[in-house]
Amino acid sequence: MRTAYTISAVGHAAVLLWSVWSLSATSLPVSSTEGLPVDLVTASDFSKIAAGSKDAPKAETPKPLVEKVAEAKPVEDPTAKVVEKKEVKAAREPPPAPEAKPSESEPEKKQAETKPDPIADALAKDEAKKPEPKKADVKPPTPPKKPAPPTPKFDPKQVAALLDKRDSTRLAAAGETLNSAPSLGLSNGAAAQLSLSELEALRARLAQLWTVPAGAKDPQELVVLVRIKLNRDGKLAAPPVVLSSGTSPLFMAARDSAIRALFRGQPYDMLKPEHYEQWKDVEITFDPRDMIRG
Amino acid sequence: MLGAGAAAGALAGLSPQRAAAVLKLDVTQGNVQPVPIAIPDFVGVGLQDPAGGRNVSLIIASNLRRSGLFAPIDPAAYIEKISTIDTLPRFPDWRQINAQALVTGRITQSDGRLKAEFRLWDVFAGQQLRGEQYNTTADNWRRIAHIISDAIYERITGEKGYFDSRVVFVDESGPKERRIKRLALMDQDGANVRYLTRGDDLVLTPRFSSAADTITYMSYSQGDPKVYLMNIETGQREIVSNFPGMSFSPRFSPDGQRVIFSLQRGGNSNLFVMDLRSKATTRLTDTQVIDTAPSYSPDGTRISFESDRGGKQQIYIMAANGGEAQRISFGEGAYSTPVWSPRGDYIAFTKQTESKFAIGIMRADGSGERILTEGYHNEGPTWSPNGRVIMFFRDPGGDGGPMLYTVDVTGRNEQILKTPSYASDPAWSPLLQ
Repeated sequence: MRTAYTISAVGHAAVLLWSVWSLSATSLPVSSTEGLPVDLVTASDFSKIAAGSKDAPKAETPKPLVEKVAEAKPVEDPTAKVVEKKEVKAAREPPPAPEAKPSESEPEKKQAETKPDPIADALAKDEAKKPEPKKADVKPPTPPKKPAPPTPKFDPKQVAALLDKRDSTRLAAAGETLNSAPSLGLSNGAAAQLSLSELEALRARLAQLWTVPAGAKDPQELVVLVRIKLNRDGKLAAPPVVLSSGTSPLFMAARDSAIRALFRGQPYDMLKPEHYEQWKDVEITFDPRDMIRG
Repeated sequence: MLGAGAAAGALAGLSPQRAAAVLKLDVTQGNVQPVPIAIPDFVGVGLQDPAGGRNVSLIIASNLRRSGLFAPIDPAAYIEKISTIDTLPRFPDWRQINAQALVTGRITQSDGRLKAEFRLWDVFAGQQLRGEQYNTTADNWRRIAHIISDAIYERITGEKGYFDSRVVFVDESGPKERRIKRLALMDQDGANVRYLTRGDDLVLTPRFSSAADTITYMSYSQGDPKVYLMNIETGQREIVSNFPGMSFSPRFSPDGQRVIFSLQRGGNSNLFVMDLRSKATTRLTDTQVIDTAPSYSPDGTRISFESDRGGKQQIYIMAANGGEAQRISFGEGAYSTPVWSPRGDYIAFTKQTESKFAIGIMRADGSGERILTEGYHNEGPTWSPNGRVIMFFRDPGGDGGPMLYTVDVTGRNEQILKTPSYASDPAWSPLLQ
C-alpha cells in the first residue's frame, strides 16, 4: 500500500514536472504593432470644436522639429570683413566730436542712436538725459543685441563676399536644444497621424456638398482629381487645382461641381491644427462611379 | 484575421500618408440633391409687356425645377437686385442665400425683334460659366426661355438639355363611352397646346420624325387602320401604307428616311419597313405570331420589338435588315412597347405582371432591368431628347381618364404634366433646330 502511494506520488510529481518543463514553451515574441489612431469625439465636443470663441486662448504652434544641436559656428562670414572696414570709417567721426561738442551735441545724439557705436550712444545719453539714469544703466548690458547692421558699401573687388555662402543643407532643423518631446506613437512607428475621424469628417463634408450628376451615361467622365492647399485655419490657400483633364461637357460639369463643393466646405475645421503638416496639401479624387453603377 | 484584413483594406482606402507626402482622399459618395440656383427677373429693355423679363425667368425656373436637378430659390430671399448684367454680381450676397449658381439676363425689344442675353455664374468660384445671346421674333419668347434653360442645364449637369422640345399626344375629351380623340401638340412643359386633327377619326400612336416637323401615326378613318404622315407645320397628310390588312405602331428610323410598322394579316402580324422616297416596302419578319412595336437604335443598325413567339410577349432585338432575333427580357410577366433611348444606353418598356403595369428600363443586352414606376395602368413610354426623362401615360381606372407623367431614368422625380383634358400616347420630339 505504502509503495503504491509512493509510486503514485512520484509518478504524479514526474508528470507535473514534465509538463512544467515541456509545456512552458517560450512565449511568442509580440512585436508592438501600431494601433490605429482614432479620436473619439462626442457630438457636443464636435460642435464645440466647430464653434469659434473670441476669448479662446491662441492655439500654440507646435514646437519646430530639431534633430541635432547646432554647433556654435564661428562667424567667418566674409561679409564680416566689410564690417571691419566700415568701423575704420566710423572711427573718423569720434575725433571731430570733441571739437564740435558744445554746439552739435543734440543732433549728434540723434545720429549716434542710429550709429553702431554703443558706447558713444551710452555716453551721449548720460550727458544729455540725466533724469533717466536707469535706462543708461540698463542699456550697457544689452549693446550686443542692438548693433544696427552696418550698410556695406559696394566694393567691386569684394564681389565674392556678396555671394551667399551658406550651405544648402537642412540647417534649419538644427537648433539650440533637441526637441525632446516624444511624438505620439511607437518607437518603431510613424509620428502622429491624422485620425480616421478627421479624415472621415472631411470626406463626409465633401460628400455632403458634392452634387453628382445622377444617371449620367458615361460615369468614367465624371472622375475628377483635385489638389488643394490649405491654410492652418482650414481655409483654401489658393483655388483648387484640377489634375485630371477632359473637354467633354460632362467632365466640365463634374469638375465644377467638385470645385464648388471644395469652396463651400471651407473652413475645414475638422482637421486639427496639430496635424497641419499632414493636411496642408490634399489630393482628392471625386469618383461617383459607385453611385451610378447599376 | 478577417477583421485585420478588413481594417488593412479600410486603411489602404483612406491612405493617411506620412508627413510631407500629399494626403490622398477618395470621395466616392456625393449627394443627388438638386443644385440651388437663383434666377432673378431678366432686365427688360423696351418690352411691350412689362412682365416680359419676369416671365422668361419664371419659365426657366419652372423648367429647371421640373428636371429635378435644380432647386430654384424663392425670389423673396434675394438680397441683391439685378439691374444690369454688365457688372459682376455681388457674390457674397448670393452665397449668403446658399445659391450655387446664378442666372442674370436681359431682354431687349426693338421692332418686333427680341434680343436675349444671359450669363450663368458660379457663385462660389465667382466666375462666369456661360454667357450667350440670341435674336428672335417677339412671339418666340417662350422658346428663348427654353433655349436658355437648355444652356444652363447642359453647363451644370454636363448633359444636353431637353427643354426646347415638343410633345405630340392624343387628347381625349368627352364621356368615357364616347371619347373624342384628337392629335395635339404642345411644348414639353405643357404650354402652347395646338390640335392637329378634329376628332372625326380615331387616332393612335403618334411618333415624331428626327426632323421634329413630321409625325407618323395610326388612324381609323374608314375600313382598316392605316399609317399616316403629317407635317405639323403645314397640316399636310399622306398615307404611308395602303395594303390590305391593318397597319399599326409606326415609328421613324433615326435618319427620318424610313418608317417601320407592323402589318396584320389574319391572326399574325409582322414587321415591315418602307422607304419614304422610293415607297419600297421590305418585310423584316415572317412569323405566325404577333411581332409589333418596333423601335430603332439611335445608330439605326438594330431594331427592338415585342413578340409573343416564345409564349408571352417579350422584347427581342434584331439587325435593322431583319434576320435572327435575340430575346433580351427574361423577367416575370409580359414585356411590351420597347423604345430605344436617344443616347442608346437603355430600352424603356412596359411590363405587365398579374394586375400591374410598370414602366421600366433595361440595357440593350437585357441587363440592368429597373422599374421606374408601377401602378394600375402605366403605358407608352417615350424618351426626352437627352435620354434622361421618360414620359408615359397613366390611367387610374374607374371613371377617370389617362394623364401624362414624367419620371427620371433614376426612378426619382415623378411628376404629372398638366394637359387641357385627358391625354394618352405621348411622343417626345427631338430638340428643335
